[in-house]
Amino acid sequence: MSVRSQAYAAFRICYFNGIIPLWRSPLLMAAVFLTPFSFLFFLFVIAPHALFPYGVVGGVLFTALFTGNGMLNDCAYLRLERQLQQVFVASPVSPLAYILGMALSELAFALPAMTLFLVILFLIQPIGVLAALGIVGLLLLTWLMATSLGFFISTLFSQLREIWPIGTLVFSLLSIIPPVFYPATEIPAPWRWVAFVAPSTFAAQLADRLAGLGGGISTGVPFVDSPYFDLVGLLAFTLLFGAAALFFARWREN
Amino acid sequence: MAILEARGLSKTYRKGPHPVRALDRVDLGIERGRLFAFLGRNGAGKTTFIKIASTLLLPTEGELHLFGHDVVREPALVRREMALVPQEGKLFYHMTPREHVREYLRVRGVSAEATKSRTDAILDEMGLLGYQDVPALRLSGGLQQRTLVAMVLATEAPFLFLDEPTLGMDPFARRQVWEVIRKATGRGSTVLLTTHYLDEAEQLSEELAVIEGGRVLYRGTGEALKSTVRREVRVQFTGAIRPEELQSFGKVFAERGRTVVLTTRASVRELTEVALARGAEVTVGPVTLEEAFLELVGRGIEEEE
Repeated sequence: MSVRSQAYAAFRICYFNGIIPLWRSPLLMAAVFLTPFSFLFFLFVIAPHALFPYGVVGGVLFTALFTGNGMLNDCAYLRLERQLQQVFVASPVSPLAYILGMALSELAFALPAMTLFLVILFLIQPIGVLAALGIVGLLLLTWLMATSLGFFISTLFSQLREIWPIGTLVFSLLSIIPPVFYPATEIPAPWRWVAFVAPSTFAAQLADRLAGLGGGISTGVPFVDSPYFDLVGLLAFTLLFGAAALFFARWREN
Repeated sequence: MAILEARGLSKTYRKGPHPVRALDRVDLGIERGRLFAFLGRNGAGKTTFIKIASTLLLPTEGELHLFGHDVVREPALVRREMALVPQEGKLFYHMTPREHVREYLRVRGVSAEATKSRTDAILDEMGLLGYQDVPALRLSGGLQQRTLVAMVLATEAPFLFLDEPTLGMDPFARRQVWEVIRKATGRGSTVLLTTHYLDEAEQLSEELAVIEGGRVLYRGTGEALKSTVRREVRVQFTGAIRPEELQSFGKVFAERGRTVVLTTRASVRELTEVALARGAEVTVGPVTLEEAFLELVGRGIEEEE
C-alpha cells in the first residue's frame, strides 16, 4: 500500500473506531468531560481564584494527555478481548497507519471537551491568534506523545485486568501530580526539578506561557528558563514515546 | 509449487515456570489454490502455526515462506497477500455487518466501487442481508462469527487463514460458509483452515494434516487417512447383543443406543454372522474421519508416552 493509502487507512480507522461510536453513543463523551471538569470545579471552590486559569489550562492538557489512557485501553481491548488487532496485523495495513488511526479516534473522543476548555480559556484570558495557534499545536504534540505511550504500554501485557490499573496509574501520574492544574511555583523550591521527570510538566509550562500565565520553574539558567527548553523537552519525550510505539511495541508476539 | 513452505518450524512458549513446545520441527508445504485443513486436539499447535504464518507470532526455530517471502524477515511483503479470521475473534460492537465488511475493505485499500459490489455480494452469500444494518451487539454469536468471516473472505486475498471459522454457527450457516470458502479457492485463493468439526474438514479440504503435540502425524487426503487406520470398517448393531461379546472383534462402544464395533475387513463377515444369528440389525460402512482421527491421534499419544 502506498503512503497515501496508509494515510487513508488511518482516517478510515478513526472513522469507525472514533466517529461512528461517538455518533451512536454520545454519552461516551461523558467520561472525557467528567474528570477534568471535576478537578476544575474543586479548584474553583477551594483554591484562590487567581489559580483558576491554570486549572483551565490544566483541563485542556488533561484532556489531551488522557487520550493516551484511552489509546491504551482501546488497543488492549481490541487486541486481547476482540482479537481485532490481529485482523489488521495480518493485512497490508502498516503499524503506523493502525497506530495513527487509533490515535485519531482518541482525538475524536477528546475534541469536544478540549474545545469547551479552549473556549473557556479564551473567554477568561486575552490570548492572541499566534498564541492560540501555539496552544493548538502544543495540544497536538501532547496527544501524539500520550497516544504513542498508550499504544506502547498496551502491547506489553497479555491480560486486560493487568492493563486497567497500569493505564490509570501512568496517566494519572502524568496529568494530576505534575504541575498541570497548578503552577510549578506551588511545589517547594528544592523539589521543583523533580517535576521535569514528567513530560506533562514541559507541556504545561509551555501552555501556561502561551496563555500569558506566569509561574514556570525558575532555575537561573537562561535556556532552562526559556520556552525553548520546554519545547525541546516535550519534543524529546514525543520522539522517545513515538519510537517506542513504532519500533519497540509488540506488533507481533514473541 | 508450494506457496506456503515451512521448514523445521518450532515454537516454544517460555512464559511461566515450564516452557511449552507448541510446534516441533514442522515441515509443510501448501500449493496454490488448495484448501488445506489442520486437524488436532486443543493445544496441538494448529493456532500457533497459523499465528506464525500470518505474521502474528515469531517462531523459535525454523523458517516459513509465503509466496517466496520469509514471514520473519519480510512481514510487510507477506501481509499484502493475506487475510485472517482469528480464533474467537469478535466484532466492533457498535458497527453493523455491512459497515464491518465495507470498512475493512476500504482500510485494506480496495476501491470504493469494488468495495460496494463485494460487500453486497458477500452479505448475500453469507445470508447476512437481513441483518446488514443491525449493530453487532444485537447479533447472535453465530451471526457475529459469520460477519467476521464475511469481512475476511470479501478481501479476496491470495492467502486466507481461517482459524476455526465456523465456530458457534448452526449447520445451515456452516454450509453457507463452506460454499463461500469453496468459491474463494475457485477464484484462486489458497485457504489454510483449522477446525474441530471433522465433517467440515472432510467436506471442504482437498488435503489435511493432523497435528498432535506440535508434530505433524499425518498429511494427505481425508480418504487416505481413513485407509491408514488398523480397523477400517464400522459395524453398527441394534438389538439384543451385549458389547462384551464383541470385544474380540475390535474396538466396541455405544453410540445413541446402538453398539458400534470398529474392526478389520477380515473380521466383518464373522462379526455380522454372529450378530445376525442373534437377531440384531446390522449396518456396515467405512470408518468416519473422526474415528480415523481419534485412532491416529490416540496412537500418537501412546507412542509419545
